Amino acid sequence: MQSGEAPASMEVETSSNGLGTHIGSFLLPPKPKFEPLKAHEMSDGRVQFRKVSVPPHRYSPLKKAWMEIYTPIYEQMKIDIRMNLKARKVELKTRSDTPDVSNLQKCTDFVHAFMLGFDVIDAIALLRLDELYVESFEIKDVKTLRGEHLSRAIGRLSGKGGKTKFAIENATKTRIVIADTKIHILGSFQNIKIARDSLCSLILGSPAGKVYSKLRQVTARLAERF
Amino acid sequence: MAKPSETGMEALHHLKSTDPPALLAPSPTLSQTARTASQHLFSCLKPYAPKSPFDQLLTDGFDAEQIWQQIDLLSQPLLSTLRRQVKHLEKHPEESKIVLKKENEFLDGERKILEEKETKRFDDDVDDDDMDMDMDEFDDEEEEEEGGRRESEKGESEDESGEMVEGKGGEGIEDKFLKIKELEEYLEEDEAREYGLDRKKKKGELKLEEEEEEEEEEEDEEEEDDDDDELDDEYEDAEENARYEDFFGAKKKTVPKRKSSLSNGSDEDSGLNDDGAVEKKGGLSTHEKQLEKLQSEIEQMEKANLEPKTWTMRGEVTAASRPKNSALEVDLDFEHNVRPAPVITEEITASIEDMIKQRIIEGRFDDIQKVSSLPSTAPKEVKQLDENKSKKGLAEVYEEEYIQKTNPAAAPISFSDEQKKEASILFKKLCLKLDALSHFHFAPKPVIEDMSIQANVPALAMEEIAPTAVSDAAMLAPEEVFSGKGDIKEEAEVTQAERKRRRAKKKRKFKAEAVKRMTKKARDNTALLNHNEGE
Repeated sequence: MQSGEAPASMEVETSSNGLGTHIGSFLLPPKPKFEPLKAHEMSDGRVQFRKVSVPPHRYSPLKKAWMEIYTPIYEQMKIDIRMNLKARKVELKTRSDTPDVSNLQKCTDFVHAFMLGFDVIDAIALLRLDELYVESFEIKDVKTLRGEHLSRAIGRLSGKGGKTKFAIENATKTRIVIADTKIHILGSFQNIKIARDSLCSLILGSPAGKVYSKLRQVTARLAERF
Repeated sequence: MAKPSETGMEALHHLKSTDPPALLAPSPTLSQTARTASQHLFSCLKPYAPKSPFDQLLTDGFDAEQIWQQIDLLSQPLLSTLRRQVKHLEKHPEESKIVLKKENEFLDGERKILEEKETKRFDDDVDDDDMDMDMDEFDDEEEEEEGGRRESEKGESEDESGEMVEGKGGEGIEDKFLKIKELEEYLEEDEAREYGLDRKKKKGELKLEEEEEEEEEEEDEEEEDDDDDELDDEYEDAEENARYEDFFGAKKKTVPKRKSSLSNGSDEDSGLNDDGAVEKKGGLSTHEKQLEKLQSEIEQMEKANLEPKTWTMRGEVTAASRPKNSALEVDLDFEHNVRPAPVITEEITASIEDMIKQRIIEGRFDDIQKVSSLPSTAPKEVKQLDENKSKKGLAEVYEEEYIQKTNPAAAPISFSDEQKKEASILFKKLCLKLDALSHFHFAPKPVIEDMSIQANVPALAMEEIAPTAVSDAAMLAPEEVFSGKGDIKEEAEVTQAERKRRRAKKKRKFKAEAVKRMTKKARDNTALLNHNEGE
């Protein structure tokens, strides 16, 4: 094979020219130029699958926003997507003309984010930007709360009409989903951290005002740095 | 002009009659007259002299010096014989009277001669060593024969100023001259006893040495002068030669004591010091007394210096270090740094009240004007936490962020509330129009603050279209970014006490605000109640 020859001959190289490399008196063939592998080819022509299960409370929102989800995935990411109603799963599959291997994973993350509770427009960011992540944690990870305390904690987190949550979102450029005792944060790594700190302090009991002031400081500092 | 062959007596008389100034100028006729006069005198005295080589005074071709020498040779032994005779007469006073009566006239002439001769001799004898003896002779003779004259001379020798006074005194005491004589003798003896002859001699010598110089000069002058200047010379010599100091040491002027008793007067006349013979306690003279006084004063002062000073002389004396109530006795004077409180009188109050009335009439009150603090810097864009759900999707948010990062100029500048601003501008315009309609006085146009937010963006980015370089220099000054006073500490650095202090401060502020809010609420409630009740 051509490829096998090249490495063997690389050890002893005296000069190189367009025609070939010289190894002593041999004339080696020129370096091959390959095009990048397609996703399809990388997996040796096999198709790759991803399946995302749909929780029951997200079933109807999914039905409503299906087209918004489907279009970018199918059109731009070139991933096949379908809903398996029986299994209540969304299935994704690579095509032959999928440009990048990571597209599939991105689409999967996007769908998964939607399933967690994020809006489509927010989740779409996952498709467009690389460095966005979703972090999830529970309230009990931070502090063991039971009964009323837990309820109060959740209330504190959201604030009146959700204003605390929105404040954190706007300040840190993240999106937060508080699903009962589970909290999901979508955003860049640093922003997630800030949002998480604020939420944790809220869970632990600090009043909203305090959290706000801290947020302000942090975001101001963040804004200066580019 | 006198004839050369006139007799001696006539010559004498002639000499006597000449004016003293005429004697000053040398004239040969006067000189001849004087010579003849001297010759006459010499021959008169010749029979009384015990031994003399000359029968007659040789004057032709001899100069003054030689003539003097001849006279001296004659008079020396004569003096001693005369002294002996006088002493004899003293012891036997009854004989003196007889003698006096007999030869009164003769003695008159003799006396004058003697005076002249004595003074002449005295001048000659100045150079001799046995001066003292001559002085004594002189004294004795003067005492015995010419009390008054001597005293007057003595007076002159003492002090020229007291001359007249002494002369007068001499005249007054002449009547009782014997007593004076006795007193003087006694005083002399006493002095001799006290001081010791040595001292007297020494003093006399010292004084004489001084006088010698003077007298030598004077002698020269006199010798140069004419012989006829005898009277004047005698006068002067008597003054200079016979000095009080020679006999009795340092004298003390006792002129003001003239009118005291005889004894005091005689003391003065003799020139003796009061302390000399009268006081015998330690033998102190006035000078010594003075010295003693001084000495005692010095001792006193030294003693005072060695002792610790009185408290008034010491600095920084507390109440404990001075005697009780001593500050009351001393007149203290200290500086007052404070102006003394004004004494309020009726006039002052009236003046103040007038001023108040005037001010009220004018309406000119010195009220404190509040200083409006204008913000020197543009108000920073305080990022308000938006508590509403963001309308933009997360993707758009990041998109904007990315654009700002890469291409800052293209990023849209954020405004806090555009609609709010618009509303405020409209309202201000409306207010202006309404004010113009309702009030009579002029109200200026409302200030529409053109608030331009300065984004803290690198200046370079704003100016350049295609930023080739990115600089860190921000548009806002560091003070505009953050203006803090004092020690800014991080949360971790704050100490426990500091934390407590901050919390307490916050609580206080919160309490004050709460109170204000409560009062406001109460007011509103009451107002509402009144309104409702009113209705």
